[in-house]
Amino acid sequence: MNTFPLLSLTVFLPLLGAALLLLLRPRGRRTAFAIGIGPAALTLLAAGLVWARGVPGGFTQLEELPWIPAIGAAYRLGVDGVSLPLVLLTAVLFLATLIYSANTSEQPASFVALMLLLETACLGAFLALDLLLFYVFFEVTLVGMYFIIAGWGHDNPKQAALTFFIYTLVGSLFLLLAILALYLGAAPHTFDMRALLAHPPLGGTAAVLTFGALALAFAIKTPLFPFHTWLPTAHTAAPAAGSAILAGVLLKLGGYGFIRFGLQMTPDAFRQLAPYVLGLAVFSAIYGAFAALGQTDIKRMVAYTSVNHMGYVVFGVAAAALRPAGGPFGLDGAVLQMVSHGIVTGGLFLLIGALQDRTHTRDMGQLGGLAPAYPVLSGLFILASFASLGLPALAHFPAEFQIFLGGYQVAPVATALLLVGLIITTALYLRAIQRVFLGEQPAVLSPLGDLGARELWAIGPLMALIVLIGLYPEFLLGLIHATQRLLMAGHE
Amino acid sequence: MSSGGMDMKRDLLLVLPQIVLLLTAVGALVAEMMRRRRLSLGWALVGLGAAGAAALRQLGADTTAFSGTFRVDALSHWSVLILAPAAGLCCLLARQELRGTPREGTVYSLLCFGTLGAALLAGTGDLMFLVLGLLINSLSGFALAAYSKTKAGTEGALKYFIYGTVTTAILIFGLTYWVGITGNTLLTSLSRPDLPPLALAFGFVALLTGLGYAASIFPFHFWTPDTFEGAPVSVAAYLSVVPKIGVFFALAQVGRSLPANGPVAWPLVLAGLAVASMTFGNLLALLQQNMVRLLAYSTIAQAGYFLLGVVGLPAGAGARRALIVFAAAYAAMNLGAFAVVLSTGKTLADFRGFGTRRVFAAVALSAFLFSLVGIPPLAGFAGKLLLFEATMAAGYTWLAVAAVLNSVLSLAVYLRVVAVMYFGGTGETPQTGPVSWAGQAVVVTCFLITVLLMFVL
Repeated sequence: MNTFPLLSLTVFLPLLGAALLLLLRPRGRRTAFAIGIGPAALTLLAAGLVWARGVPGGFTQLEELPWIPAIGAAYRLGVDGVSLPLVLLTAVLFLATLIYSANTSEQPASFVALMLLLETACLGAFLALDLLLFYVFFEVTLVGMYFIIAGWGHDNPKQAALTFFIYTLVGSLFLLLAILALYLGAAPHTFDMRALLAHPPLGGTAAVLTFGALALAFAIKTPLFPFHTWLPTAHTAAPAAGSAILAGVLLKLGGYGFIRFGLQMTPDAFRQLAPYVLGLAVFSAIYGAFAALGQTDIKRMVAYTSVNHMGYVVFGVAAAALRPAGGPFGLDGAVLQMVSHGIVTGGLFLLIGALQDRTHTRDMGQLGGLAPAYPVLSGLFILASFASLGLPALAHFPAEFQIFLGGYQVAPVATALLLVGLIITTALYLRAIQRVFLGEQPAVLSPLGDLGARELWAIGPLMALIVLIGLYPEFLLGLIHATQRLLMAGHE
Repeated sequence: MSSGGMDMKRDLLLVLPQIVLLLTAVGALVAEMMRRRRLSLGWALVGLGAAGAAALRQLGADTTAFSGTFRVDALSHWSVLILAPAAGLCCLLARQELRGTPREGTVYSLLCFGTLGAALLAGTGDLMFLVLGLLINSLSGFALAAYSKTKAGTEGALKYFIYGTVTTAILIFGLTYWVGITGNTLLTSLSRPDLPPLALAFGFVALLTGLGYAASIFPFHFWTPDTFEGAPVSVAAYLSVVPKIGVFFALAQVGRSLPANGPVAWPLVLAGLAVASMTFGNLLALLQQNMVRLLAYSTIAQAGYFLLGVVGLPAGAGARRALIVFAAAYAAMNLGAFAVVLSTGKTLADFRGFGTRRVFAAVALSAFLFSLVGIPPLAGFAGKLLLFEATMAAGYTWLAVAAVLNSVLSLAVYLRVVAVMYFGGTGETPQTGPVSWAGQAVVVTCFLITVLLMFVL
């Protein structure tokens, strides 16, 4: 049973769905989404089975097929405690967003097919254990997202999609340079990530330059200040489902990259440069919070909180790089933070989509008093906002707590500065809630009532997960921690 | 006497692919004389296929023919295996572009003659073969470049001709020094340790001048953009691929025999030229508004990458392999790009709205261009990766770094085109002829090779 290629199945089930859609070309919206939601649900099931099989710490459930033996590249998949939570997050979020967007009337078959292609690319990137394979999946996420923004976005989608494309393409070019350096630095030359993780190939200046290229590539993806400018534009233009995936999953590729590549393949260079990364992360987190505070568009506001939250992630990783012996708190927190942020922000973007469907505006100046009219929508939004600002017993709290704990041991001043970001975030969410949901009820209300079944099926499970992670983070942390301990032990 | 006969038979069998190429060229010419254009094309295609098949049968042999003057090795086999199909694709492009013009059949014949010249260059074990191959190749090139009889065409061809004859004369003059110091024309005699360094160096510089022009290596590239622009697009496609591969394989043959750490530090010279070629080509390509000129400067840049393979030769067989893989990838992606240009238009503005107007052709062109950058998993990546490895194995890490940085620069070059295709707004459909099956077949073939080459390595 254990030889069954469950990981490949997980990765390629969505692609199978996409192929089915292209083959059948269903005209109807319902058929298209039925064909799409089926494979997405099965993918979640498969990801669950991967978990059930057991992930003890190091890479397991390895799959390897020869691909290009001439240059040491192969089809290699594997899973560990860092990638599995992200795989589960991906599977959950794609299922939720597909359910949510089941009312898309414009070319539904193409939309679903693209989403499924994107899901395969994301899962593949998290599970790939070969640099070349990772790179290919990484690039496909970029192409898929580009088309989703350009094809189904609003306002000025083509322009936003282009900005997104150029930015991340340049980022991935630096990733390619780093991959080349890692490959050429390894003896014998190989793209096998496990070999490169076990024996980081580079030293000295080469390692520093390679880490620089990696940091640049992933800082654009994450994004960190000053490479974040593509993010608000892309979010404003993207459809709700696209935003949820962009913030929920694609940004995680940046955080994942910092851990898998930066921390594991160029550990010494990362340690050497960690103070700078740490500083940039702190600045980015505070900057994101202040920028969010300045927004009147509620979607842009949430987009900027992503810059804030992902700043915490990088902070946690950098703290772990700075002093591996200081304990794995920072890294544990960073991985959990990625999951929490994916669920919370994914949920928030879907809720904003639902809000926009009803009010046709996202300008907080024009919104107000919506709570009595839409009690469920408002309640869930407030729950997700509280989670996002880091309220205890909700998803972000255990993650951020661990990050701060890890950071405090290494850089107490920087950690104290980060707390400023926390306060600003609290303020901005409370103000947004007050502006949008409280106050005087508007005279004209859209005929659409409170959240419907479709929206509830999509958003409800995410909200349940927010509470579950908040109350019992151990179900993920145990998994993450086992791997982190191994990882940190390797670098002492 | 009888053993001599046996040797002759063996030698002729060994050069069978080259003989088939010669017969193909002659046959295509005869068909043209009978005004049978389709027969001429068909003969050329079948003949090129047969030459490829003959080379395929011999694959793996490593010997020489005609007393060591012609090398029957991986380079000469693969040159035929790459160049014969490439020339066939050029014939198809010419069919689309020049169909019904007065001397259509001569084009097919000349394309085959030029390919023969390149194949002789690739197997050269002797200075005479080198000169012979270069002359056959460039003489047919001159005639092809002048085919269209327009003002630009004539000007381009004249530049190509004058420049070519002068550099070839320099080459022949310089090679006489080599003959003078070694006493014979064999390349292998260059490895003798007692040769006077100055004469050896002079010969090498002259050789580089002559070969550098044919391969458009900086600073011998001047003719390239004008000639490409004036010539028919199918001929420009041919000129960018076939002579170049022949010349670089010939350089590799010389590099095998010339001691790397002898009096002439030729790898260092070539490394310098590689950096200059890549940088110059990419920078000037950035400024072009004309697709043919852009691709012309791009071939100058790509010539620099080819040089990486020659520089890496002293370190072992990896470099030869890299050269072969890159040559195959280069042929596919470059011919493909020219094929799309042929069916679309020569200026960058013609590509506005191309992404929505002709979906497959736009995707294919994007693949060719990204492959030229060297983005995985496209063919160009495999070639460049192997080239980088070979260069580093030879101790030229700085050259590999310069090449990688140039790849970054080249992304800007090629991305400009992709950006126009997808984000340049909707342009009006340029006035070009209908897309023929021949042109379409070339695009599809090159696309498949560009995408799949890595999977068959």
